[in-house]
Amino acid sequence: MLKRSLIAGASVLALAPAANAQDCELTISVYSFAQDEFDEILYTPFEEETGCEVIVETGNSVERLAKIAANRESPVIDMAVVSVHDALEASRDGLLQPIDTDALENFDKLYDLAKDPLGNGEAIGYTFYATSIAYRTDKVEVTSWGDLLSDELAGNVAFPDVTTNQGPPALYMLGKALGDDDTSLEAPMEALGEHADDIVTFYVRSSQLAQLMMQEEIWAAPIGRFAWGQFKDSGLPIAWAEPEEGQTGGLNVMVMTANNGNEELATRFMDYWLSTEVQTKLAEGLVDSPANAEVTVSDEAAENLTYGAETVAQLDLLPPEAIVDNRDAWIEQWNALVVQ
Amino acid sequence: MSSSVFGNRTTGLSLTLPAALFAAALFLVPVAILLSEAFVGPEGGFSLSAYSDFFADPRYRAVFWRTLKLGVLVTLTAAIIGYVAAFAIVSLPPKSRGRIFGLVILPLMISPVARTYAWLVILGRTGIVNETLGLFGIEPIRFLFTETAVFIGLLQLFMPLMIVSLISAMENMPSDAVPAARLLGASWVQVFLRVILPLTREGLVIGGTLVFTGSLTAYITPAILGGSKVLMLETLLYQRVTVARDFASASVIALILILMCFGANLVLRRLATVKRRTAA
Amino acid sequence: MNRIAAWTVISLLLVFLIGPFIIILGAALSAGPVMAFPPDGLSLQWFEKVFSIDSFRSSFAISIWLGLCSPLAALILGVPASYAMARYDVRGAELVRLLVSAPIIVPGIIVGLALLRYLVIPTGIGIGLALFLAHTALVLPYAVRVVSASMDNLRADIEEAAVMLGCSRLGAFLRVVLPNIRGGILAAFILGFVTSFNEVPVALFLSGPGITTLPIDMIGYMEITYDPSVAALAALLAALSIAIVFAAERFLGLSRYV
Repeated sequence: MLKRSLIAGASVLALAPAANAQDCELTISVYSFAQDEFDEILYTPFEEETGCEVIVETGNSVERLAKIAANRESPVIDMAVVSVHDALEASRDGLLQPIDTDALENFDKLYDLAKDPLGNGEAIGYTFYATSIAYRTDKVEVTSWGDLLSDELAGNVAFPDVTTNQGPPALYMLGKALGDDDTSLEAPMEALGEHADDIVTFYVRSSQLAQLMMQEEIWAAPIGRFAWGQFKDSGLPIAWAEPEEGQTGGLNVMVMTANNGNEELATRFMDYWLSTEVQTKLAEGLVDSPANAEVTVSDEAAENLTYGAETVAQLDLLPPEAIVDNRDAWIEQWNALVVQ
Repeated sequence: MSSSVFGNRTTGLSLTLPAALFAAALFLVPVAILLSEAFVGPEGGFSLSAYSDFFADPRYRAVFWRTLKLGVLVTLTAAIIGYVAAFAIVSLPPKSRGRIFGLVILPLMISPVARTYAWLVILGRTGIVNETLGLFGIEPIRFLFTETAVFIGLLQLFMPLMIVSLISAMENMPSDAVPAARLLGASWVQVFLRVILPLTREGLVIGGTLVFTGSLTAYITPAILGGSKVLMLETLLYQRVTVARDFASASVIALILILMCFGANLVLRRLATVKRRTAA
Repeated sequence: MNRIAAWTVISLLLVFLIGPFIIILGAALSAGPVMAFPPDGLSLQWFEKVFSIDSFRSSFAISIWLGLCSPLAALILGVPASYAMARYDVRGAELVRLLVSAPIIVPGIIVGLALLRYLVIPTGIGIGLALFLAHTALVLPYAVRVVSASMDNLRADIEEAAVMLGCSRLGAFLRVVLPNIRGGILAAFILGFVTSFNEVPVALFLSGPGITTLPIDMIGYMEITYDPSVAALAALLAALSIAIVFAAERFLGLSRYV
């Protein structure tokens, strides 16, 4: 009796994905953010259209790529969305394969910047975001990236950790404010290191920041536009800075894992995701800013997104090669200069 | 026990074997492989370079010392508060004793994620602690992302283990030992050092090991309350694996953690036996 | 210690140990968009939100399954072992005890990483199965410890008498031993459930597509937002644990075994 229920239990656990398998399934790896919206706008309609099941793994870029690398011999994940520099690193590791753009009906509709950001056909951009500084207007005024190290903000500012997607771009802009735009990031790290005690935390999760601002732990922090919603809704006087050095940002891309054996369905899914219909819904839901140039959104949504060819063109982006090539050195330097 | 009925060793062995094999296969072997990785040098072959590299890095050294310091501080504080609390609880009539005991172990049953999360609200700059301090005109103090926050979180997480261990030790203490010593004119300090401590050392060793081990191996508390500014070995390990895919450092940290846990147990045992000799 | 001093100490202690949960409940009842205590007005909206999030439902189901299956498996392994170590002269019993209780001393994050790298990846077994096996190993120490404690309280001569009177060994175990250690087995099961249900570090590495436990899902959710629904979920989990512990204490006297 005991034994039988144990075996039943174990098999349910072990075979959970297989037990309700349909004829086909697609395993994707995505950011954990806004899963309910993605489910409604993207996964469920896609499942209904194809009759295939979408299995979702969530987490941050780096953790998920670590797992993809670990399973390279027998890939579990068919397609993933990651930052463009993580895609470059995965590509160099041989974890990816080119995406068949001829099979993508929506490919031509994309902004040129999104079409082939790695230059080898292994990644396609699906969303852009701006990165700037969110700050409490009742406490301070932020007009430059250099203001993050001002006396006014000492003890009231959070900065992204160098290992996050926001870290290097924010450092790069801080460097610009200090008059040094070298990608070694040495000058901004040195400056940040001198002010390390004035930084409340080097955050790894942007979700913390709204709470920290509400609790008055911090007054300002560099954030990605995708996290802006929760600040805006908090009812506090918080503004999105337009620093004189400009805004930076990032591009997130979709990639196809090498030898996954499920390329056809994964390509179909990518095409669906890039379609004007889905991209419009994601934009209107303030989930992701569009990479599809045919998307038009309401003024209210546009206000909260990184939207339009002009906006996208103005972003001061760190090239992905610079990030991948320097990342180890940055972490070393960060450990030596900033966190000690 | 070797009576006729229980004499058969084969039966005994065959009943124990599945559990032992399971623990070995699922636990000992993978963990042992992981630990052994840290002894392989860059060119293969036995090497301690991963260890010297680890300890050569001042930042890692700082994390090591911080972990040790917080572990010791949490254990000591838990022991001090634990003795007072356990003594108070044991002095209650049996019925309320049972109820209070239930309340003390209650936090152990609740998700550490939930437990740690609460401190985020309590210790914030506009949290209940700072609001209360404000009533007395004290400026807000920064707790979050400091060692203090991690200390408080760990203390709340693991103190029940110390109290439970001390209570069971005190319950086995002869009930007249303390009153007798007091009658003979011993001060409370003397009573503690000469009577209570020797009679409860077993509980202190168990409780101390549990609290220290728990503090060292907690992940979620330092991750949420300390963040990247207050890294502990456990959070550092996770960071090395996920961010840098640096499995060599991860193995080194793993072995250091395990050695620290065993070391604490040995030290506590030694302390307990020394106490017994001086007391005898 | 006199009565007033004793109760003062105990009250302070309980404020420290239990107080945070009251704060969580308060923050969860907040009508405002961010966690705050005292709450800005009262509402149940965050509790409603918890139930509307799909991923919480599926990860809750996985956590419940794990919480039920792993202690069960651990008991199937642990009860015979505890019985044998109490009744037979097992060579190497100490070694077995040490082996079985090792998971308590080895940090969970190491176990998770080791199993991911040296069990899941080489053998290709599913993450779900790996998580189930890992949690079984993790709660095995409780099964052995708690059941051993109740075996020690059971006199061997009753069982011997049953065997002499013609009962088979298995029969004696089932009719005499098992009913007497029932309380210990249930206590071990509940402790195992709670341990597995709340476990974080092992599951941190052993999670994959479609397999995420509730605590890991909560941490993931906190990566996205810190709205009070996390507090509401934490309060619900706390209530669930409290209910289980109270029921167990009431009917079994769980505290005797901890």
